[in-house]
Amino acid sequence: MRGFKISIFFCLIILLTVTGGHAAATSLRILYVNDFHGYAEPLQAPGSGEKVGGMAFLAARVEALRREKPSLLLAAGDMIEGNQWAHLFQGKSVIELMNAMKFDAMVVGNHEFDFGQAVLRKRIAEARFPVLGANVVGLDPLKPYVIKEVSGLRVAVIGVVTPRTPKLTYPDNVAGLQFKGAAATVEKYWPRLRGRADLLVVLSHLGYPADLRLAEKVPAINVIVGGHTHTRLVKPSIVDGVIIVQAWAHARALGVLDLTVDAGKIVKADGRLEDIKPIPGQEDPGVQKIVEKYRLEEDAVLGETVGEAAVDLDGEHVRARETNLGDLVADIVREKTGTEIALINGGAIRAGIPKGPITLKEVYEALPFNNYLVAFKLGGADLKAALEHGVSAVEKHAGRFPQVSGLSFAYSPGAPAGSRVRDVQVGGRALEPDGKYTVATLDFLAAGGDGYRIFGTAAPPGAGGRGAAGKMGPDKVVYNAPGQRLRDVVIDYLKAHGKVAPETQGRIRAVK
Amino acid sequence: MRIYLDSRPLQLLPGMVVRHALIRAGLLQEIDSGKKVYDAWGNEVDLDGALEDGMKLWVR
Repeated sequence: MRGFKISIFFCLIILLTVTGGHAAATSLRILYVNDFHGYAEPLQAPGSGEKVGGMAFLAARVEALRREKPSLLLAAGDMIEGNQWAHLFQGKSVIELMNAMKFDAMVVGNHEFDFGQAVLRKRIAEARFPVLGANVVGLDPLKPYVIKEVSGLRVAVIGVVTPRTPKLTYPDNVAGLQFKGAAATVEKYWPRLRGRADLLVVLSHLGYPADLRLAEKVPAINVIVGGHTHTRLVKPSIVDGVIIVQAWAHARALGVLDLTVDAGKIVKADGRLEDIKPIPGQEDPGVQKIVEKYRLEEDAVLGETVGEAAVDLDGEHVRARETNLGDLVADIVREKTGTEIALINGGAIRAGIPKGPITLKEVYEALPFNNYLVAFKLGGADLKAALEHGVSAVEKHAGRFPQVSGLSFAYSPGAPAGSRVRDVQVGGRALEPDGKYTVATLDFLAAGGDGYRIFGTAAPPGAGGRGAAGKMGPDKVVYNAPGQRLRDVVIDYLKAHGKVAPETQGRIRAVK
Repeated sequence: MRIYLDSRPLQLLPGMVVRHALIRAGLLQEIDSGKKVYDAWGNEVDLDGALEDGMKLWVR
Protein backbone atom coordinates (compact mmCIF):
# COMPACT_ATOMS: atom_id res chain seq x y z
CA MET A 1 0.00 0.00 0.00
CA ARG A 2 2.78 2.37 0.92
CA GLY A 3 4.51 1.65 -2.43
CA PHE A 4 1.25 2.45 -4.26
CA LYS A 5 1.03 5.80 -2.49
CA ILE A 6 4.63 6.59 -3.40
CA SER A 7 3.94 5.69 -7.02
CA ILE A 8 0.99 8.09 -7.10
CA PHE A 9 3.19 10.75 -5.49
CA PHE A 10 5.83 10.42 -8.21
CA CYS A 11 3.21 10.37 -10.94
CA LEU A 12 1.82 13.63 -9.58
CA ILE A 13 5.27 15.18 -9.56
CA ILE A 14 5.76 14.21 -13.19
CA LEU A 15 2.29 15.48 -14.09
CA LEU A 16 2.86 18.81 -12.38
CA THR A 17 6.20 19.14 -14.09
CA VAL A 18 4.65 18.57 -17.48
CA THR A 19 1.42 20.49 -17.02
CA GLY A 20 0.54 22.22 -13.75
CA GLY A 21 4.08 23.43 -13.20
CA HIS A 22 4.35 24.36 -16.88
CA ALA A 23 7.99 23.44 -17.21
CA ALA A 24 7.05 22.54 -20.77
CA ALA A 25 5.47 25.10 -23.07
CA THR A 26 1.74 24.68 -23.62
CA SER A 27 -0.26 25.74 -26.66
CA LEU A 28 -3.65 27.37 -26.36
CA ARG A 29 -5.78 28.64 -29.21
CA ILE A 30 -8.50 31.17 -28.47
CA LEU A 31 -11.19 31.41 -31.14
CA TYR A 32 -13.53 34.35 -30.78
CA VAL A 33 -16.45 36.22 -32.26
CA ASN A 34 -18.37 39.28 -31.11
CA ASP A 35 -21.48 41.25 -32.05
CA PHE A 36 -22.97 38.45 -34.10
CA HIS A 37 -26.42 40.08 -33.83
CA GLY A 38 -28.10 37.04 -35.30
CA TYR A 39 -26.59 37.32 -38.77
CA ALA A 40 -26.73 33.58 -39.27
CA GLU A 41 -26.88 33.77 -43.04
CA PRO A 42 -24.33 35.41 -45.32
CA LEU A 43 -24.94 39.11 -45.83
CA GLN A 44 -23.97 41.61 -48.46
CA ALA A 45 -20.97 43.68 -47.46
CA PRO A 46 -21.70 47.44 -47.48
CA GLY A 47 -20.32 49.10 -50.58
CA SER A 48 -19.92 45.86 -52.53
CA GLY A 49 -22.04 43.13 -54.02
CA GLU A 50 -19.97 40.48 -52.29
CA LYS A 51 -21.61 38.08 -49.86
CA VAL A 52 -19.69 37.58 -46.63
CA GLY A 53 -20.12 35.76 -43.34
CA GLY A 54 -22.59 33.04 -42.50
CA MET A 55 -22.41 31.22 -39.18
CA ALA A 56 -22.39 27.74 -40.75
CA PHE A 57 -19.24 28.70 -42.66
CA LEU A 58 -17.68 30.22 -39.56
CA ALA A 59 -18.55 27.06 -37.60
CA ALA A 60 -16.74 24.91 -40.14
CA ARG A 61 -13.61 27.00 -39.67
CA VAL A 62 -13.95 26.69 -35.91
CA GLU A 63 -14.02 22.91 -36.18
CA ALA A 64 -11.02 22.82 -38.51
CA LEU A 65 -9.01 25.08 -36.21
CA ARG A 66 -10.02 23.11 -33.13
CA ARG A 67 -8.62 19.97 -34.70
CA GLU A 68 -5.22 21.64 -34.96
CA LYS A 69 -4.81 22.79 -31.36
CA PRO A 70 -6.53 22.72 -27.98
CA SER A 71 -8.94 25.63 -28.17
CA LEU A 72 -11.44 27.82 -26.40
CA LEU A 73 -14.36 29.37 -28.31
CA LEU A 74 -15.52 32.66 -26.82
CA ALA A 75 -18.23 35.19 -27.67
CA ALA A 76 -17.82 38.82 -26.61
CA GLY A 77 -21.47 39.85 -26.44
CA ASP A 78 -24.38 41.15 -28.52
CA MET A 79 -25.11 37.74 -29.91
CA ILE A 80 -28.87 37.17 -29.53
CA GLU A 81 -30.48 40.42 -30.75
CA GLY A 82 -30.44 42.10 -34.12
CA ASN A 83 -31.17 40.39 -37.39
CA GLN A 84 -34.68 39.03 -38.01
CA TRP A 85 -33.34 35.46 -37.79
CA ALA A 86 -32.59 36.13 -34.14
CA HIS A 87 -35.10 38.84 -33.31
CA LEU A 88 -38.23 36.90 -34.23
CA PHE A 89 -37.25 34.18 -31.77
CA GLN A 90 -35.94 36.55 -29.11
CA GLY A 91 -32.52 35.00 -29.46
CA LYS A 92 -33.54 31.35 -28.92
CA SER A 93 -32.25 30.49 -32.38
CA VAL A 94 -28.85 31.96 -31.56
CA ILE A 95 -28.45 30.02 -28.33
CA GLU A 96 -29.32 26.78 -30.13
CA LEU A 97 -26.69 27.58 -32.72
CA MET A 98 -24.09 28.45 -30.08
CA ASN A 99 -24.83 25.23 -28.22
CA ALA A 100 -24.24 23.27 -31.40
CA MET A 101 -20.94 25.06 -31.92
CA LYS A 102 -19.91 24.24 -28.33
CA PHE A 103 -19.03 27.72 -27.21
CA ASP A 104 -17.03 27.74 -24.00
CA ALA A 105 -18.36 31.08 -22.70
CA MET A 106 -19.96 34.34 -23.68
CA VAL A 107 -20.35 37.68 -21.98
CA VAL A 108 -23.61 39.59 -22.14
CA GLY A 109 -23.58 42.65 -24.33
CA ASN A 110 -25.87 45.62 -23.88
CA HIS A 111 -28.21 44.25 -26.54
CA GLU A 112 -28.66 40.99 -24.64
CA PHE A 113 -30.94 43.03 -22.36
CA ASP A 114 -33.16 44.32 -25.16
CA PHE A 115 -35.79 41.59 -24.79
CA GLY A 116 -36.05 42.18 -21.04
CA GLN A 117 -34.72 40.24 -18.09
CA ALA A 118 -37.29 37.43 -18.21
CA VAL A 119 -36.30 36.52 -21.76
CA LEU A 120 -32.61 36.86 -20.96
CA ARG A 121 -33.02 34.45 -18.04
CA LYS A 122 -34.64 31.94 -20.41
CA ARG A 123 -31.80 32.27 -22.90
CA ILE A 124 -29.19 31.82 -20.16
CA ALA A 125 -31.03 28.71 -18.95
CA GLU A 126 -30.97 27.28 -22.47
CA ALA A 127 -27.27 27.91 -22.94
CA ARG A 128 -24.98 24.94 -22.41
CA PHE A 129 -22.12 27.32 -21.74
CA PRO A 130 -21.66 29.92 -19.01
CA VAL A 131 -23.03 33.38 -19.72
CA LEU A 132 -20.84 35.90 -17.92
CA GLY A 133 -21.41 39.35 -16.48
CA ALA A 134 -19.15 39.97 -13.51
CA ASN A 135 -19.99 43.66 -13.29
CA VAL A 136 -23.76 43.15 -13.45
CA VAL A 137 -25.34 43.11 -10.00
CA GLY A 138 -28.85 41.70 -9.59
CA LEU A 139 -29.12 39.07 -12.32
CA ASP A 140 -28.17 35.82 -10.62
CA PRO A 141 -28.00 33.51 -13.65
CA LEU A 142 -25.04 35.52 -14.92
CA LYS A 143 -21.75 34.07 -13.76
CA PRO A 144 -18.86 36.40 -12.97
CA TYR A 145 -16.25 34.06 -14.36
CA VAL A 146 -15.46 30.56 -15.45
CA ILE A 147 -12.22 28.61 -15.23
CA LYS A 148 -11.58 26.39 -18.23
CA GLU A 149 -8.81 23.85 -18.32
CA VAL A 150 -7.19 23.29 -21.68
CA SER A 151 -4.22 20.92 -21.97
CA GLY A 152 -3.60 21.35 -18.28
CA LEU A 153 -3.62 25.11 -18.56
CA ARG A 154 -6.15 26.76 -16.28
CA VAL A 155 -7.71 29.76 -17.97
CA ALA A 156 -9.87 32.14 -15.94
CA VAL A 157 -12.37 34.02 -18.10
CA ILE A 158 -14.05 37.03 -16.48
CA GLY A 159 -16.89 38.70 -18.36
CA VAL A 160 -17.61 42.44 -18.26
CA VAL A 161 -20.18 44.51 -20.15
CA THR A 162 -20.23 48.23 -20.71
CA PRO A 163 -21.38 50.08 -17.57
CA ARG A 164 -23.26 52.37 -19.97
CA THR A 165 -25.77 49.60 -20.66
CA PRO A 166 -28.61 51.42 -18.83
CA LYS A 167 -28.22 54.25 -21.34
CA LEU A 168 -28.31 51.83 -24.25
CA THR A 169 -31.53 49.92 -23.69
CA TYR A 170 -35.07 50.58 -22.50
CA PRO A 171 -35.05 51.30 -18.73
CA ASP A 172 -37.45 48.48 -17.84
CA ASN A 173 -34.96 46.02 -19.31
CA VAL A 174 -32.38 46.79 -16.65
CA ALA A 175 -34.68 47.70 -13.74
CA GLY A 176 -33.10 46.66 -10.46
CA LEU A 177 -29.71 45.96 -11.99
CA GLN A 178 -26.44 47.72 -11.33
CA PHE A 179 -23.53 47.90 -13.75
CA LYS A 180 -20.18 48.33 -12.02
CA GLY A 181 -16.92 49.59 -13.48
CA ALA A 182 -14.96 47.03 -15.46
CA ALA A 183 -11.49 47.61 -14.01
CA ALA A 184 -12.69 47.53 -10.41
CA THR A 185 -14.63 44.35 -11.13
CA VAL A 186 -11.66 42.54 -12.65
CA GLU A 187 -9.44 43.70 -9.77
CA LYS A 188 -12.05 42.40 -7.34
CA TYR A 189 -12.19 38.90 -8.82
CA TRP A 190 -8.58 38.33 -9.86
CA PRO A 191 -7.19 37.85 -6.31
CA ARG A 192 -9.78 35.09 -5.81
CA LEU A 193 -8.74 33.40 -9.03
CA ARG A 194 -4.98 33.91 -9.00
CA GLY A 195 -4.22 30.68 -7.16
CA ARG A 196 -6.60 28.69 -9.32
CA ALA A 197 -5.71 29.93 -12.77
CA ASP A 198 -2.64 30.27 -14.95
CA LEU A 199 -4.04 32.85 -17.35
CA LEU A 200 -6.55 35.67 -17.02
CA VAL A 201 -8.75 36.37 -20.03
CA VAL A 202 -11.29 39.18 -19.88
CA LEU A 203 -14.25 38.68 -22.15
CA SER A 204 -15.26 42.26 -22.69
CA HIS A 205 -18.22 44.04 -24.19
CA LEU A 206 -16.77 47.46 -23.44
CA GLY A 207 -15.55 48.63 -26.84
CA TYR A 208 -12.02 48.91 -28.17
CA PRO A 209 -11.07 52.28 -26.61
CA ALA A 210 -12.31 51.05 -23.22
CA ASP A 211 -10.37 47.80 -23.66
CA LEU A 212 -7.20 49.84 -24.17
CA ARG A 213 -7.88 51.73 -20.95
CA LEU A 214 -8.67 48.51 -19.09
CA ALA A 215 -5.35 47.02 -20.18
CA GLU A 216 -3.51 50.05 -18.82
CA LYS A 217 -5.34 49.88 -15.50
CA VAL A 218 -5.16 46.14 -14.88
CA PRO A 219 -1.83 44.71 -16.07
CA ALA A 220 -2.64 41.34 -14.46
CA ILE A 221 -4.86 40.63 -17.47
CA ASN A 222 -3.25 38.45 -20.11
CA VAL A 223 -5.81 38.73 -22.89
CA ILE A 224 -8.86 40.92 -23.56
CA VAL A 225 -11.31 39.46 -26.07
CA GLY A 226 -13.46 42.44 -26.92
CA GLY A 227 -16.62 43.56 -28.68
CA HIS A 228 -19.17 46.42 -28.83
CA THR A 229 -17.33 48.75 -31.25
CA HIS A 230 -17.40 46.15 -34.08
CA THR A 231 -13.69 46.74 -34.58
CA ARG A 232 -11.88 44.81 -37.26
CA LEU A 233 -8.68 44.23 -35.34
CA VAL A 234 -6.70 42.29 -37.93
CA LYS A 235 -3.76 41.85 -35.56
CA PRO A 236 -3.81 41.86 -31.77
CA SER A 237 -2.96 45.10 -30.00
CA ILE A 238 -0.61 44.88 -27.05
CA VAL A 239 -0.81 47.42 -24.22
CA ASP A 240 1.53 47.00 -21.26
CA GLY A 241 1.84 43.34 -22.13
CA VAL A 242 -1.93 42.81 -22.35
CA ILE A 243 -3.10 41.30 -25.63
CA ILE A 244 -6.31 42.84 -27.00
CA VAL A 245 -8.35 41.28 -29.79
CA GLN A 246 -11.72 41.88 -31.45
CA ALA A 247 -13.29 40.25 -34.51
CA TRP A 248 -15.41 42.82 -36.35
CA ALA A 249 -19.09 41.79 -36.31
CA HIS A 250 -21.96 39.81 -37.86
CA ALA A 251 -19.90 36.61 -38.25
CA ARG A 252 -17.91 38.26 -41.01
CA ALA A 253 -14.67 37.21 -39.34
CA LEU A 254 -13.40 34.62 -36.91
CA GLY A 255 -10.65 35.64 -34.53
CA VAL A 256 -7.76 33.26 -33.96
CA LEU A 257 -5.23 33.83 -31.18
CA ASP A 258 -2.50 31.24 -30.72
CA LEU A 259 -0.67 31.42 -27.41
CA THR A 260 2.35 29.56 -26.19
CA VAL A 261 2.52 29.52 -22.41
CA ASP A 262 5.61 28.59 -20.46
CA ALA A 263 5.95 28.70 -16.69
CA GLY A 264 2.67 30.57 -16.43
CA LYS A 265 3.74 33.25 -18.88
CA ILE A 266 2.76 33.86 -22.47
CA VAL A 267 5.99 33.51 -24.39
CA LYS A 268 4.50 33.71 -27.85
CA ALA A 269 1.28 35.15 -29.27
CA ASP A 270 0.16 35.02 -32.89
CA GLY A 271 -3.20 36.45 -33.81
CA ARG A 272 -5.21 36.95 -36.94
CA LEU A 273 -8.70 37.43 -38.28
CA GLU A 274 -10.01 34.98 -40.80
CA ASP A 275 -12.58 36.58 -43.10
CA ILE A 276 -15.53 34.25 -43.52
CA LYS A 277 -16.54 33.62 -47.11
CA PRO A 278 -19.69 31.62 -47.82
CA ILE A 279 -18.26 29.16 -50.31
CA PRO A 280 -20.90 26.50 -51.04
CA GLY A 281 -19.92 23.11 -49.70
CA GLN A 282 -17.70 24.52 -46.97
CA GLU A 283 -20.41 25.02 -44.36
CA ASP A 284 -20.85 22.97 -41.20
CA PRO A 285 -23.88 20.79 -42.02
CA GLY A 286 -25.14 20.61 -38.44
CA VAL A 287 -25.08 24.36 -37.94
CA GLN A 288 -26.52 24.92 -41.41
CA LYS A 289 -29.50 22.75 -40.44
CA ILE A 290 -30.19 25.02 -37.48
CA VAL A 291 -29.88 28.12 -39.67
CA GLU A 292 -32.34 26.66 -42.18
CA LYS A 293 -34.71 25.36 -39.52
CA TYR A 294 -35.25 28.82 -38.08
CA ARG A 295 -35.39 30.40 -41.51
CA LEU A 296 -38.32 28.14 -42.29
CA GLU A 297 -39.89 28.91 -38.93
CA GLU A 298 -39.69 32.62 -39.69
CA ASP A 299 -42.59 32.24 -42.12
CA ALA A 300 -44.75 30.62 -39.47
CA VAL A 301 -43.93 33.29 -36.91
CA LEU A 302 -44.48 36.09 -39.41
CA GLY A 303 -47.91 34.64 -40.16
CA GLU A 304 -49.04 35.34 -36.60
CA THR A 305 -52.02 37.68 -36.37
CA VAL A 306 -51.25 40.63 -34.11
CA GLY A 307 -54.35 42.75 -34.67
CA GLU A 308 -57.06 43.70 -37.10
CA ALA A 309 -57.55 46.63 -39.42
CA ALA A 310 -61.17 47.71 -39.81
CA VAL A 311 -60.12 49.75 -42.86
CA ASP A 312 -57.31 49.65 -45.40
CA LEU A 313 -54.19 51.25 -43.91
CA ASP A 314 -52.63 53.52 -46.53
CA GLY A 315 -48.88 53.13 -46.79
CA GLU A 316 -48.74 54.12 -50.44
CA HIS A 317 -49.24 57.88 -50.18
CA VAL A 318 -47.18 58.55 -47.05
CA ARG A 319 -44.68 60.65 -49.03
CA ALA A 320 -47.35 62.97 -50.40
CA ARG A 321 -50.11 63.44 -47.86
CA GLU A 322 -51.42 62.53 -44.46
CA THR A 323 -52.57 58.92 -44.42
CA ASN A 324 -54.40 56.88 -41.84
CA LEU A 325 -51.41 54.56 -41.42
CA GLY A 326 -49.10 57.54 -40.99
CA ASP A 327 -51.48 58.92 -38.36
CA LEU A 328 -51.68 55.58 -36.58
CA VAL A 329 -47.90 55.11 -36.39
CA ALA A 330 -47.31 58.71 -35.34
CA ASP A 331 -50.02 58.40 -32.68
CA ILE A 332 -48.40 55.25 -31.32
CA VAL A 333 -45.02 56.99 -31.20
CA ARG A 334 -46.50 59.96 -29.34
CA GLU A 335 -48.36 57.74 -26.89
CA LYS A 336 -45.32 55.61 -26.17
CA THR A 337 -43.02 58.55 -25.56
CA GLY A 338 -45.58 60.69 -23.74
CA THR A 339 -44.75 63.73 -25.82
CA GLU A 340 -46.90 66.55 -27.16
CA ILE A 341 -45.98 65.88 -30.75
CA ALA A 342 -44.70 63.04 -32.92
CA LEU A 343 -43.18 63.52 -36.33
CA ILE A 344 -41.91 60.66 -38.44
CA ASN A 345 -40.81 60.58 -42.04
CA GLY A 346 -43.16 59.05 -44.57
CA GLY A 347 -40.19 57.15 -45.93
CA ALA A 348 -40.14 55.07 -42.76
CA ILE A 349 -43.37 53.43 -43.93
CA ARG A 350 -42.81 51.17 -46.91
CA ALA A 351 -46.12 49.36 -47.45
CA GLY A 352 -49.78 49.52 -46.61
CA ILE A 353 -51.81 46.97 -44.70
CA PRO A 354 -55.12 45.80 -46.16
CA LYS A 355 -58.34 45.66 -44.20
CA GLY A 356 -58.64 42.47 -42.16
CA PRO A 357 -56.36 40.55 -39.82
CA ILE A 358 -52.90 42.12 -39.49
CA THR A 359 -50.01 39.69 -39.56
CA LEU A 360 -46.56 40.21 -38.17
CA LYS A 361 -45.23 39.98 -41.71
CA GLU A 362 -47.38 42.91 -42.80
CA VAL A 363 -46.04 45.05 -39.98
CA TYR A 364 -42.48 44.07 -40.89
CA GLU A 365 -43.14 45.00 -44.52
CA ALA A 366 -44.75 48.30 -43.56
CA LEU A 367 -41.94 49.18 -41.13
CA PRO A 368 -38.84 47.35 -42.41
CA PHE A 369 -36.22 49.55 -40.78
CA ASN A 370 -34.72 49.06 -37.33
CA ASN A 371 -35.69 52.55 -36.21
CA TYR A 372 -36.05 53.34 -32.52
CA LEU A 373 -37.76 56.19 -30.69
CA VAL A 374 -36.16 59.43 -29.59
CA ALA A 375 -37.82 62.52 -28.14
CA PHE A 376 -36.57 65.95 -27.22
CA LYS A 377 -37.66 69.49 -26.53
CA LEU A 378 -37.77 71.67 -29.58
CA GLY A 379 -38.46 75.37 -29.97
CA GLY A 380 -41.59 76.40 -31.86
CA ALA A 381 -39.60 78.09 -34.62
CA ASP A 382 -37.45 74.99 -35.05
CA LEU A 383 -40.55 72.82 -35.20
CA LYS A 384 -41.95 74.98 -37.98
CA ALA A 385 -38.62 74.74 -39.77
CA ALA A 386 -38.79 70.96 -39.52
CA LEU A 387 -42.27 71.01 -41.05
CA GLU A 388 -41.03 73.31 -43.82
CA HIS A 389 -38.30 70.81 -44.55
CA GLY A 390 -40.79 67.97 -44.47
CA VAL A 391 -42.94 69.44 -47.24
CA SER A 392 -40.10 71.03 -49.21
CA ALA A 393 -39.93 68.23 -51.77
CA VAL A 394 -43.48 66.93 -51.72
CA GLU A 395 -43.65 67.27 -55.51
CA LYS A 396 -40.85 64.67 -55.71
CA HIS A 397 -42.57 62.41 -53.20
CA ALA A 398 -39.45 62.54 -51.06
CA GLY A 399 -39.30 60.32 -47.98
CA ARG A 400 -38.93 63.38 -45.75
CA PHE A 401 -42.68 64.13 -46.01
CA PRO A 402 -43.94 64.12 -42.42
CA GLN A 403 -46.61 62.05 -40.77
CA VAL A 404 -47.59 63.74 -37.53
CA SER A 405 -49.48 63.41 -34.29
CA GLY A 406 -50.44 66.14 -31.84
CA LEU A 407 -50.30 68.92 -34.39
CA SER A 408 -51.91 70.07 -37.60
CA PHE A 409 -50.76 72.44 -40.30
CA ALA A 410 -51.47 73.63 -43.81
CA TYR A 411 -48.97 74.03 -46.60
CA SER A 412 -48.94 75.46 -50.07
CA PRO A 413 -47.19 73.12 -52.52
CA GLY A 414 -46.90 75.95 -55.05
CA ALA A 415 -45.03 78.27 -52.71
CA PRO A 416 -41.21 78.27 -52.65
CA ALA A 417 -39.66 75.54 -50.54
CA GLY A 418 -39.05 76.93 -47.06
CA SER A 419 -42.12 79.19 -47.19
CA ARG A 420 -44.92 76.70 -47.58
CA VAL A 421 -46.13 76.01 -44.05
CA ARG A 422 -48.84 77.99 -42.31
CA ASP A 423 -51.44 77.70 -39.56
CA VAL A 424 -49.53 75.28 -37.35
CA GLN A 425 -51.66 74.17 -34.41
CA VAL A 426 -50.37 72.18 -31.46
CA GLY A 427 -53.02 70.65 -29.26
CA GLY A 428 -55.57 72.97 -30.85
CA ARG A 429 -53.58 76.15 -30.18
CA ALA A 430 -51.45 78.19 -32.55
CA LEU A 431 -47.79 77.29 -32.52
CA GLU A 432 -45.74 79.72 -30.46
CA PRO A 433 -42.39 80.38 -32.17
CA ASP A 434 -40.77 80.98 -28.79
CA GLY A 435 -42.52 78.08 -27.09
CA LYS A 436 -40.94 74.72 -26.23
CA TYR A 437 -42.53 71.48 -27.31
CA THR A 438 -41.70 67.84 -26.64
CA VAL A 439 -41.31 66.11 -29.98
CA ALA A 440 -40.91 62.39 -30.58
CA THR A 441 -39.31 61.07 -33.72
CA LEU A 442 -37.09 58.26 -34.99
CA ASP A 443 -33.36 57.90 -34.39
CA PHE A 444 -32.79 58.25 -38.12
CA LEU A 445 -34.32 61.72 -38.16
CA ALA A 446 -32.78 62.65 -34.80
CA ALA A 447 -29.40 62.03 -36.39
CA GLY A 448 -30.34 64.42 -39.19
CA GLY A 449 -31.46 61.79 -41.70
CA ASP A 450 -33.66 62.72 -44.67
CA GLY A 451 -32.20 66.19 -44.29
CA TYR A 452 -33.78 66.92 -40.89
CA ARG A 453 -30.72 68.83 -39.77
CA ILE A 454 -32.82 70.90 -37.40
CA PHE A 455 -33.23 67.78 -35.23
CA GLY A 456 -29.50 67.32 -35.27
CA THR A 457 -29.14 70.41 -33.15
CA ALA A 458 -31.61 69.19 -30.55
CA ALA A 459 -29.16 67.02 -28.63
CA PRO A 460 -26.89 69.01 -26.33
CA PRO A 461 -23.57 67.75 -24.96
CA GLY A 462 -24.11 65.18 -22.24
CA ALA A 463 -27.72 64.62 -23.19
CA GLY A 464 -29.37 61.71 -21.45
CA GLY A 465 -33.14 61.36 -21.48
CA ARG A 466 -35.78 59.37 -19.64
CA GLY A 467 -35.61 56.41 -21.96
CA ALA A 468 -31.86 56.37 -21.78
CA ALA A 469 -30.98 57.01 -18.21
CA GLY A 470 -34.16 56.51 -16.26
CA LYS A 471 -34.52 60.24 -15.62
CA MET A 472 -35.08 63.44 -17.46
CA GLY A 473 -32.06 64.66 -19.32
CA PRO A 474 -30.34 67.83 -18.25
CA ASP A 475 -31.66 69.79 -21.15
CA LYS A 476 -33.55 68.79 -24.26
CA VAL A 477 -33.64 65.02 -24.63
CA VAL A 478 -36.64 63.43 -22.93
CA TYR A 479 -36.71 59.92 -24.39
CA ASN A 480 -34.02 57.77 -25.95
CA ALA A 481 -34.44 54.01 -26.12
CA PRO A 482 -32.00 52.28 -28.45
CA GLY A 483 -32.96 48.64 -28.71
CA GLN A 484 -36.68 49.40 -28.56
CA ARG A 485 -37.70 49.33 -32.16
CA LEU A 486 -40.59 51.28 -33.64
CA ARG A 487 -41.85 48.07 -35.24
CA ASP A 488 -42.05 46.28 -31.90
CA VAL A 489 -43.78 49.25 -30.28
CA VAL A 490 -46.41 49.15 -33.05
CA ILE A 491 -46.82 45.39 -32.69
CA ASP A 492 -47.31 45.75 -28.93
CA TYR A 493 -49.92 48.44 -29.55
CA LEU A 494 -51.82 46.30 -32.05
CA LYS A 495 -51.76 43.30 -29.72
CA ALA A 496 -53.09 45.45 -26.89
CA HIS A 497 -55.81 47.18 -28.91
CA GLY A 498 -56.98 44.37 -31.19
CA LYS A 499 -58.89 46.27 -33.86
CA VAL A 500 -57.79 49.63 -35.24
CA ALA A 501 -59.78 51.92 -37.53
CA PRO A 502 -57.75 55.10 -38.05
CA GLU A 503 -59.11 57.85 -40.26
CA THR A 504 -57.25 60.87 -41.53
CA GLN A 505 -58.13 63.95 -39.53
CA GLY A 506 -56.95 66.89 -41.56
CA ARG A 507 -53.64 67.12 -39.75
CA ILE A 508 -51.82 68.01 -42.98
CA ARG A 509 -53.75 70.10 -45.48
CA ALA A 510 -52.54 71.12 -48.92
CA VAL A 511 -53.84 74.60 -49.80
CA LYS A 512 -53.27 77.03 -52.62
CA MET B 1 -21.89 62.61 -26.70
CA ARG B 2 -19.47 64.36 -28.98
CA ILE B 3 -17.47 62.38 -31.50
CA TYR B 4 -15.26 63.50 -34.37
CA LEU B 5 -15.71 62.35 -37.93
CA ASP B 6 -12.92 63.46 -40.24
CA SER B 7 -12.03 65.96 -37.49
CA ARG B 8 -15.53 67.42 -37.57
CA PRO B 9 -17.27 67.42 -34.17
CA LEU B 10 -20.69 65.83 -34.11
CA GLN B 11 -23.23 65.74 -31.28
CA LEU B 12 -24.99 62.40 -31.00
CA LEU B 13 -27.24 60.72 -28.46
CA PRO B 14 -26.13 57.86 -26.25
CA GLY B 15 -26.69 54.61 -28.09
CA MET B 16 -26.14 56.06 -31.52
CA VAL B 17 -23.67 54.16 -33.65
CA VAL B 18 -21.25 54.80 -36.50
CA ARG B 19 -24.13 54.83 -38.98
CA HIS B 20 -25.77 57.76 -37.14
CA ALA B 21 -22.52 59.70 -37.26
CA LEU B 22 -22.35 59.18 -41.00
CA ILE B 23 -25.96 60.30 -41.39
CA ARG B 24 -25.29 63.40 -39.29
CA ALA B 25 -22.23 64.23 -41.39
CA GLY B 26 -24.02 63.46 -44.65
CA LEU B 27 -21.43 60.80 -45.49
CA LEU B 28 -23.49 57.62 -45.53
CA GLN B 29 -23.52 57.54 -49.31
CA GLU B 30 -19.71 57.45 -49.26
CA ILE B 31 -19.96 53.96 -47.79
CA ASP B 32 -22.27 52.86 -50.57
CA SER B 33 -19.58 53.92 -53.00
CA GLY B 34 -17.01 51.72 -51.30
CA LYS B 35 -15.37 53.89 -48.66
CA LYS B 36 -14.87 52.54 -45.15
CA VAL B 37 -14.80 53.95 -41.63
CA TYR B 38 -11.66 53.71 -39.48
CA ASP B 39 -10.98 54.48 -35.84
CA ALA B 40 -8.14 56.59 -34.46
CA TRP B 41 -5.84 53.56 -34.51
CA GLY B 42 -6.51 52.76 -38.16
CA ASN B 43 -8.84 49.83 -37.53
CA GLU B 44 -11.89 49.46 -39.72
CA VAL B 45 -15.17 49.69 -37.80
CA ASP B 46 -18.57 48.40 -38.80
CA LEU B 47 -21.48 50.80 -39.33
CA ASP B 48 -23.32 49.37 -36.33
CA GLY B 49 -20.29 49.76 -34.08
CA ALA B 50 -20.80 51.51 -30.76
CA LEU B 51 -19.43 54.99 -30.17
CA GLU B 52 -18.12 56.65 -27.06
CA ASP B 53 -17.58 60.24 -26.13
CA GLY B 54 -14.51 61.76 -27.75
CA MET B 55 -14.08 58.98 -30.30
CA LYS B 56 -12.35 59.90 -33.54
CA LEU B 57 -13.36 58.31 -36.81
CA TRP B 58 -12.21 58.70 -40.38
CA VAL B 59 -13.86 57.93 -43.69
CA ARG B 60 -11.54 56.95 -46.51
